[in-house]
Amino acid sequence: MLGDSSRRGVVLSTTSTVVVLAVLVGIFLLAPGSAQVRHTFFNPTDMWQSFVGDPKAGYYSVGEALWLNIRMFVAAEILILIFALIVAVIRQSTGPVLLPLRVAATVYVDVARGVPLILIIFALGYGLPALQLAGISDQSAAVYGVVALVVSYSAYVAEVYRAGINSVHRSQVAAARSLGLTQGASMRYVILPQAIRNIIPPLLNDFISLQKDTAQVGLLGAIEANKAAEIYSSTVFNYSSYVVAAILFLILTIPLARFTDYLIRRDQARRLAGAGQ
Amino acid sequence: MHRIMITAAVLALGAGLAACGSTTSGSGSGSGTSASTGAAAASCSNASIQKDLYTKGTLTAATDKPVYPPWFSGNDPANGKGYESAVAYAVAAQLGFKKSQVTWAYEPFNNSYAPGPKKFDFDINEISYSTARAQAVTFSDSYYDVQQALVALKNSPIVTKHSPADLKSYVFGDQVGTTSLQFINSQIQPSQTPKVFETLNDVKQALQTKQIAALVTDTPTAEFITTEIPGSVVVAQFPSTGEHYGLLFAKGNKLVTCVNKALATLKGNGTLAKLTAQYLKDFTSVPTIQP
Repeated sequence: MLGDSSRRGVVLSTTSTVVVLAVLVGIFLLAPGSAQVRHTFFNPTDMWQSFVGDPKAGYYSVGEALWLNIRMFVAAEILILIFALIVAVIRQSTGPVLLPLRVAATVYVDVARGVPLILIIFALGYGLPALQLAGISDQSAAVYGVVALVVSYSAYVAEVYRAGINSVHRSQVAAARSLGLTQGASMRYVILPQAIRNIIPPLLNDFISLQKDTAQVGLLGAIEANKAAEIYSSTVFNYSSYVVAAILFLILTIPLARFTDYLIRRDQARRLAGAGQ
Repeated sequence: MHRIMITAAVLALGAGLAACGSTTSGSGSGSGTSASTGAAAASCSNASIQKDLYTKGTLTAATDKPVYPPWFSGNDPANGKGYESAVAYAVAAQLGFKKSQVTWAYEPFNNSYAPGPKKFDFDINEISYSTARAQAVTFSDSYYDVQQALVALKNSPIVTKHSPADLKSYVFGDQVGTTSLQFINSQIQPSQTPKVFETLNDVKQALQTKQIAALVTDTPTAEFITTEIPGSVVVAQFPSTGEHYGLLFAKGNKLVTCVNKALATLKGNGTLAKLTAQYLKDFTSVPTIQP
């Protein structure tokens, strides 16, 4: 049973949402160029044609092309999780012998985070084939794209890992070492399990971003969703295909975003429960 | 002199040279009638088209950056050299503009069909006419009839093996927005998906690094590319599919009627043929093969 005040709250919030939406839709529909914009961006015929595709008419299915984005995303995500962890652990290491590795890892993170993804894609996508190395230079554009995504995103994710590792209280390390665990073992069994739990929300945030950035691989000639939309658009001079691609990307990313929210809420609830005990 | 040209244009239209439908020829005959009264050599005199111009007093042509031979020369559309630059200035002269009254705007291809007002009178950028495209923009009649051609590295198999059946086995590449992709998929029908690149430079790079077996583009561009990539050749060109380049206008721009008359005149008096010979002559010696 809702109380009077909370019922009133529901009515008010619903009304204000409806009014705001109505005003926005009204502005859109009444704008002088509205009909033209709706035809160019939201034409149902064009949206459907670009979704199903027709190679003989010069364009590919945006829906089918999304499958390439999904495959690139999954492959890149797995590699990033592994590679970034290695980089993070190296950067956190303290042994004097490991100094060259630490320096290399630091330089890598600085460079890979600082250079725009699109330039990394260009450099690897056109550079690696030009080297004419057997086994490396004859891969598909999607493979170079995944490598570029891994190079760029691992730098971010390594820093997320590192923040997670630093968020575990130093007393945990001290306790682990005093139990006789080696430095490696305390990292593996004490620090990382706690660290990773803390960083799951920011990690997922990076992966939502990664899902969209697979679209940049289209630059190398691979026909992923955004490229398919561009081809459609430039073939028939209508942008509705981009809206189709946008909707498809939303369908991909929104569930992950909601899942992240859920994890954050659950974690907060657990912490609060823990504090009460 | 001016009136003679317009009369010539009207005659050309009457002779059915321009395959542009009833609208154009209708207004063409209208101006023909009034041309004799003098009042309206009218419909296409420099004074009477001023109201349709993007900027009064100047004809604003647009194209992409960079621009390539043989369509342009020295990456400078304003020098009057190269086929498209020369055509633009020839059209301008027909409409009564001096060379100094023509200005050039930068218009990336992907922006050229965006809705809303355009910042040019016409865009000349090797843009092919199609009925679907004509729903979003207005095209002039043809100023160049296009054939697609194949560029490959000299020592690659496609140079010798290009029967229609052989062609299906190669990986082709083209630039996004060109009609070459449609040609590849509808005419060659290869078994592997072609690669589609953002710029011509990217396609060239892909050819050099053997990411693609051959690139497909119009014959003049193909010939130009072989001068840029060491060890590349134009393998052959394909028969025409009726494709042609047109000047691109904002949808419903009235200026197109007069530009079509100018183009008809330039066709009728041999100017276009002369410019083709001058700038695109090397491009007629390429063998034609079946897709």
